Amino acid sequence: MKNNRTLIKFVPFAVLATLSLSACKSTKVERIDANQEVALSDKWNGKDSQLVAEAMISDMLSFPWVNDHLKNEGSRPAIIVQTVRNKSHQHIAVDTFLNDLKRAILRSGQADFVANQEIRNEIREERKDQELNASLETQNEMGQEQGADYALSGTINSFVDQQGGKRVTFYQVDLRLIDMTSNREVWNGQKKIQKLQERSGYGF
Amino acid sequence: MSASIKKVILLFVVLVQLCLLSACNLTPFQQLSPAQLVQQGNFVKAKQTITNNYSKSGNERLLYHLELASLFHLEKNFAQSNQHLSDALTLIDSFYTQSISQLVMTQFSGPTYATFKGEAYYVPQIHIMKALNFSALAKSQPTKADSYFDAALIEMRQLDVFLAQLKDETGGYNSVQTDDSLTAKINRVLTPVFTPTDLLNNIDYKDDAFAHFLSGVLFEQSAEFDSARLQYQRAMQIYENGFEQQYKLPAEISNKALAGLLRVMQHAGGYETELLALRKKHQDIVQNSNNLANVTVIQNIGIAPQRKQLNLLLKADTQAKALVMTPIVFGNTKERRAQMRWFSMLHADTSLFDMIQNYMLGDIGDVAMGVVTKRIPLGPLWDDAVKLGIIDALEFGSRISVTYLEPIDTPITKSEIWVAGKRHTQLLPYHSISLLTLQDALKKSHNEIQMALVRELSKALSAKKLLKEAGVKQDNLLGRLAKLSTSVVNAVTASADTRQWQTLPSEIRLAQFSLPIGEQQITIKTYLSSGRIIEHSEKLMVNKNMSLWHTHTFVTKNSEQATLTKSTLNME
Repeated sequence: MKNNRTLIKFVPFAVLATLSLSACKSTKVERIDANQEVALSDKWNGKDSQLVAEAMISDMLSFPWVNDHLKNEGSRPAIIVQTVRNKSHQHIAVDTFLNDLKRAILRSGQADFVANQEIRNEIREERKDQELNASLETQNEMGQEQGADYALSGTINSFVDQQGGKRVTFYQVDLRLIDMTSNREVWNGQKKIQKLQERSGYGF
Repeated sequence: MSASIKKVILLFVVLVQLCLLSACNLTPFQQLSPAQLVQQGNFVKAKQTITNNYSKSGNERLLYHLELASLFHLEKNFAQSNQHLSDALTLIDSFYTQSISQLVMTQFSGPTYATFKGEAYYVPQIHIMKALNFSALAKSQPTKADSYFDAALIEMRQLDVFLAQLKDETGGYNSVQTDDSLTAKINRVLTPVFTPTDLLNNIDYKDDAFAHFLSGVLFEQSAEFDSARLQYQRAMQIYENGFEQQYKLPAEISNKALAGLLRVMQHAGGYETELLALRKKHQDIVQNSNNLANVTVIQNIGIAPQRKQLNLLLKADTQAKALVMTPIVFGNTKERRAQMRWFSMLHADTSLFDMIQNYMLGDIGDVAMGVVTKRIPLGPLWDDAVKLGIIDALEFGSRISVTYLEPIDTPITKSEIWVAGKRHTQLLPYHSISLLTLQDALKKSHNEIQMALVRELSKALSAKKLLKEAGVKQDNLLGRLAKLSTSVVNAVTASADTRQWQTLPSEIRLAQFSLPIGEQQITIKTYLSSGRIIEHSEKLMVNKNMSLWHTHTFVTKNSEQATLTKSTLNME
């Protein structure tokens, strides 16, 4: 009985202490390396995008089509990145992923890539403007664009399995490279990511 | 102290208590709620009311985002609406881990002092609204249409993940529920004490047939026929296995889902045998002509019924050795009647079990009073209650507040689709958010009153102990005033949690039909019980896969004169 009384007296102090501690929480911001992964949830993040892009482009350039093209054409192959459809359950910044793919291709030095339709149209408008306003020496001619030899496209899929506080998320990225002259699929790559998230039902 | 002074003080105490009970009978909004303002078409004031009453970081931050999202959706500001809906989903996800410190604080204060975490049925509604917003954005920005359509389908996939989990937890509509967990067994024993047994059967929110159906529509629109097939199939099974019955929907809805299923199976190809078997079994399902395309019209109607506060006075009956709760009804006649009905339906001693108990405990008058009181006999626990000081703490009574739901009032009798001046088809109720809200409130009612009872007793007891510790003698004038002031503090903090997403529709009607490809003028005629007809027309570009038109029709409750129809989405 005495113990109970002591406990009852202690409860308000414990509650106050807890509340005081939670009230001390404030916003804190620190600068960290952009390559450092900060996984706050099992959602697709910047690191996933970068790792998948690098792994897939490395795999793509290891296939025989690069050397075959060099042998037959005598120049580096030009690639156009078409659509990568997000068929997953997460809103993934596909543009960011496409940019990671482009950077990985350019960094390899084994292939060039050409701008997509939207960018091409913008550049053509600029060239039209040059014809009217730029000096003859600095004008860029129309009809001198480099055509793409190969088209890169693909999909991002995912599925989720969860029970209680545990959730497993599985992402699969499929990319394919098509020869634009023959429609031959010269490369098909696949990269899978699996993430496990565990959450507690209670916390302070 | 003389007896007359004691009587005067007692009278004063009772008067103050009554004043407090009425003063505390408040809903969160002193004037019109955002939903009521939206009903009247006053979007600017509705937005002001939301930003004035809810804060981005306060306990009602979820409502801040939900209500603003609804408003922006109705104003056709789809991008901003989606931003708020995404924030709402992030918040709901963060609420998974419950804060122990907040649980403790709630126990000593009241549910309104805790963070509002929303209801399970909000999540499908959020994903649906987001998907409709993305579809509308696709229509308004054709160069980015593909990515917006993909984004709408992502919402449907997230919805599927949520519903799969809900189904795992509740059993869904596949089989008869047999919950043999310890909690369920305890509940089965306790339920007769607080609510009539048959009232709470089969009212769990177990899955969402409408969400699956709409998912099917959106997948069909993007020509993802296999995903559409799965969603239509799930919708059909859920409607058939109890959803129609639970939410009082017309029996033909499952056949409508079947029609969608047959259509996408045909488009997908490879299901010839299954199609033949299904068509043989369901010969009444009409097959579309090849020259026609499909159109889905969704009509959201009104706003969901409002949660309000019901006050109860808790006192101790020393003769019968029982705690007695009596409803203190306030408001207009309609509100007072609703409060009494809610109390007698859920809490009053109206079951045979309660009547026998009252008869055993007291006189025959208690049996007759059963409809206006709730008696909790303490029996052998009475002496412990006296020792603990509970009975003394309840000298002036204690206020308990629970929620009740205003009666569902639908002034709409039917809605029809008219094309080129001719009646084409009828919009049928595919989902009743009103009944869903009501069933959710019923399900939680007995738990809510138990929690409120325990909370108010703890508060009354703590206050009494505090006075004792402070050395205040409780039988003199100062003591009584001190006790009164603690009762006042307890009464002020004892508020029921009436917070809710108010701008959700009351009912969702839908029609799926076929029209020739090309531009079509479609009219929705909404028939009110007063005989008045609301007409709303839109030009719709019907394309080969699936065209969608989404509207929200508001009818004010007091006067059917004020009506508003907002077309939120008219898209190819």
